[in-house]
Amino acid sequence: MTKMRVVAIARNLMVKNDAIAERLRERFARNGTLVVNLLSSPGSGKTTLLQATLERLAARYRAAVLVGDQATENDAMRLARSGVAVRQITTGAECRLDADMVATALADWEERPCDVLFIENVGNLICPAEYDLGEDLRVVLFSVTEGEDKPLKYPLAFNTSHVVVVTKTDIAAAVGYDRDAATTSIRQVNPQARIIELSARTGVGMDEWSSLLEERIRAKSLAPAK
Amino acid sequence: MHEVSVALGLLEGVESTAREQGIDRVTAVHVRIGALSGIVRDALMFSWDVVTAETICEGSQLRVEEVPLVVYCERCGRERAPRPGSGLVCPECSAIAPRILSGREMQLVAMEVPQ
Repeated sequence: MTKMRVVAIARNLMVKNDAIAERLRERFARNGTLVVNLLSSPGSGKTTLLQATLERLAARYRAAVLVGDQATENDAMRLARSGVAVRQITTGAECRLDADMVATALADWEERPCDVLFIENVGNLICPAEYDLGEDLRVVLFSVTEGEDKPLKYPLAFNTSHVVVVTKTDIAAAVGYDRDAATTSIRQVNPQARIIELSARTGVGMDEWSSLLEERIRAKSLAPAK
Repeated sequence: MHEVSVALGLLEGVESTAREQGIDRVTAVHVRIGALSGIVRDALMFSWDVVTAETICEGSQLRVEEVPLVVYCERCGRERAPRPGSGLVCPECSAIAPRILSGREMQLVAMEVPQ
């Protein structure tokens, strides 16, 4: 029998992604662009929240959106109606965006930096949590229809997020949403995250969400707001 | 769910080390995968067989060490392994322990090659 020897490699698989994410972060800092990475399950309302958010921000700030989906450009078409620059990344077999996909999609956007870039990740709470995209704010959405223990099922997505947005609160009573149970499970994986409850459809809670964004946009921007 | 791209990343890592060291045949690859990484072991093994076809790793064994979730509990002042599905909660004192010490690993550790 052939003798074997063991060769040590010791390599973290995220090293490449993290290096590209770091370069993106430097570039966003140079341009004064606030970057928001939106994570959620499919159907939690990322696109609807973004539409409502852009309606509020687009008049005052230069906004752009990158949308990741495995297939179709429907979300990009929905968002383009708000008049902001939207680019779709169709990931095919991949279940998440990575820093390289973002860098490629932004390659020719250098000439027109914006105040805020929203990255709508692929609807999935597992894989996107692993990939740093160079964002300032990681936001995880969690709709009232999803089951209050969702943060416990996907701890990494909730643990690594700065903000948890509870969406579709207008139907909370109808679906028997247990607010205390949801808050408890969010806190069990992330005691620090800011929790914002809103309904993009009725507008309740949207002021709190847009104030948070505006505050962060102004803090990151190089020039005074328009 | 991203096992194929993880398998490709592993293969890339193995191939680059093999090139540097003039290795042209690999019989086994050792990896460490954390409980929070979202990687399904069987799916990763299957992906490995697929992506290594016609490479120096063809037919090689993928040996997966699963790394459990370990957090640091401030209240107990020690490392604890939360019960699966309980979030980042200390199993002893029930305090929330959001500092993750291990469980996020996706590491290529070593390869076995013919001597």
